[in-house]
Amino acid sequence: MADLKNNLSVLAEAYGNPRARLDYYLGQGKKVIGCFPPYTPEELVHASGMIPMGLWGGQTELMRAKSYLPAFACPIMQSDMEFGLSGAYRGLSAVIIPALCDTLRCMTQNWRFGVPGIPMIPIVYPQNRRSPASVDYLISEYESVLTMLSTITGQMMNEQALCRSIEIYNEHNAVMREFAQTANEHLDIVTPRVRHAVMKSAFFYEKSEHSAIVREIIAELKKLPAYAHPGKKVVLAGIMCEPDELLGIFEENDFAVVGDDLAQESRQYRTDTPAKGGGSLRRLALQWNCRTGCSLIHEDGKPRGEMLASLCRLSGASGVISCMMKFCDPEEYDQPYYEGDLRSAGFPCLSIEIDQQNTSYEQARTRIETFREML
Amino acid sequence: MYTLGIDIGSTSSKAVILRDGTELIVQKVVSLGTGTVGPSQVLSAVFEESGLSPDQIGYTVSTGYGRMNCAQADEQVSELSCHAKGIHFLLPDAQTVIDIGGQDAKALKISESGQLIAFQMNDKCAAGTGRFLDVMARVLNVDISELGELSQRSKKPVSISNTCTVFAESEVISQLSSNVPIEDIAAGIHNSVAKRVAGMALRLGRPTAPAMSGGVARNAGVVRAMERELGCPVLVHPLCQSAGALGAAILAWEKLKKEKVN
Repeated sequence: MADLKNNLSVLAEAYGNPRARLDYYLGQGKKVIGCFPPYTPEELVHASGMIPMGLWGGQTELMRAKSYLPAFACPIMQSDMEFGLSGAYRGLSAVIIPALCDTLRCMTQNWRFGVPGIPMIPIVYPQNRRSPASVDYLISEYESVLTMLSTITGQMMNEQALCRSIEIYNEHNAVMREFAQTANEHLDIVTPRVRHAVMKSAFFYEKSEHSAIVREIIAELKKLPAYAHPGKKVVLAGIMCEPDELLGIFEENDFAVVGDDLAQESRQYRTDTPAKGGGSLRRLALQWNCRTGCSLIHEDGKPRGEMLASLCRLSGASGVISCMMKFCDPEEYDQPYYEGDLRSAGFPCLSIEIDQQNTSYEQARTRIETFREML
Repeated sequence: MYTLGIDIGSTSSKAVILRDGTELIVQKVVSLGTGTVGPSQVLSAVFEESGLSPDQIGYTVSTGYGRMNCAQADEQVSELSCHAKGIHFLLPDAQTVIDIGGQDAKALKISESGQLIAFQMNDKCAAGTGRFLDVMARVLNVDISELGELSQRSKKPVSISNTCTVFAESEVISQLSSNVPIEDIAAGIHNSVAKRVAGMALRLGRPTAPAMSGGVARNAGVVRAMERELGCPVLVHPLCQSAGALGAAILAWEKLKKEKVN
């Protein structure tokens, strides 16, 4: 139990102070690459001998970012821009920006102009994934990223290193999936805030280090007797669900999170890079083509509703909380479809707005409390 | 057995005492909300009028924006659940409830048995709320209670923005400076509120026997505008403003009954 508490607090500390993690790696003489969300090809950074670190914004007062982004832009991008402009990301050797939505597309240019001290590496993913050309195209995008990374390291990554990195990332995916499952038997320990801290801390660790810590957490949890949660269980959908104040309201209302479809949490761990299919870059490209149920990736049909309903059935959740990122067009487009599917499947859905810059949670509290009463 | 429901809103406090969950003993409204003397005044008023003392109350449920700050409450319940309960008691046929409060607006879908099954709330914005009407009444230099009657005399309502209270205020000032009749501006203001809230209510599907609750339901101009937007009559009970407190008192009674059974 002491190890469990210690490991959880280590990850909570990393989640609460990413700057300390960045300084730690810089202190070891390592180069760190900032990875904008989501689906940045971290494996390429890892295989190049550098540390990929997630840049998912944070709570900060927006001042300088307003010169670059309109008020109705994604809060994650607003705070990433603010952090970039204010020097909070000092020490990063570069950032990679995947142009997956309109705001991210603009961010590539905003960053280049506003934060010239930290080079920007763009990547554009193919949306027509049925065409075989999409794989060749994505390989060429990955090659461009690698070329730019090589200007930082002074050498080109090799195939063996990428194979090893893919292995490490696939292992990490599996560990995180196992953690999510194991956590459901121990909801007294893995509260919504603890679960989020374990999930988000992954962005601030080299992945094999993170896997090692989470493996220990899983092993310790498995030694404990299963806990029967007396309150309601829910699944979270959306891009992210934070800050802690909001997750604290879930806890006040005896809600436990037993599954999620959050881009910042389980969504990224659902799809492994296939073991076969060609060289490592081709396998990575095939992983992109295998991803499903994501608002940022074009797909025929809308499988997300059924995916969420199935997750509810498997995890024993009574409903879904849709964590709607403020001003997120792709998520807003998906929401009516999956909400309708969930209603038909008998799972009520609550929508709450996620805004990293929010300081008042009374409206969210009323919604969450009412949802509990409704369930 | 007596139960007490207290609804501490952002602009007013309401209290209801019920006997055995069905008989209304007293209901009072004080136009002062959370963080003021409103809650204590409304409690004093219901005890004074009913002749009851606090120790005769079996269970108290508080609701509304200030529900957490009510020392007398045994339990806090969200205002959405309480309005659903209160309106089902007052208007059993209603299956859609629109509650426009001082600070936010809500649309509720309730089952035939009065169970809350879905809801929508406005964003963090004063447009479409009682606060919007307060601001507009001040700009027009009329009392908020006169706004409804004023709009009935309108011949040609103007169009007022329903997206932002601050923008709408500027629009109203420019209409006033263009000598647009005040009645037409008042009607435009009501249409603006109704359009915004009806849009929210329609997200729950086509309304079934809609009813309005909350203080704004007493404004006939808003109710008429809402009927036009929804395309059907809207039910309003004379106790609409106290529906939340009434629902809280009913829930308090249900809690007592449950405790007795256990």
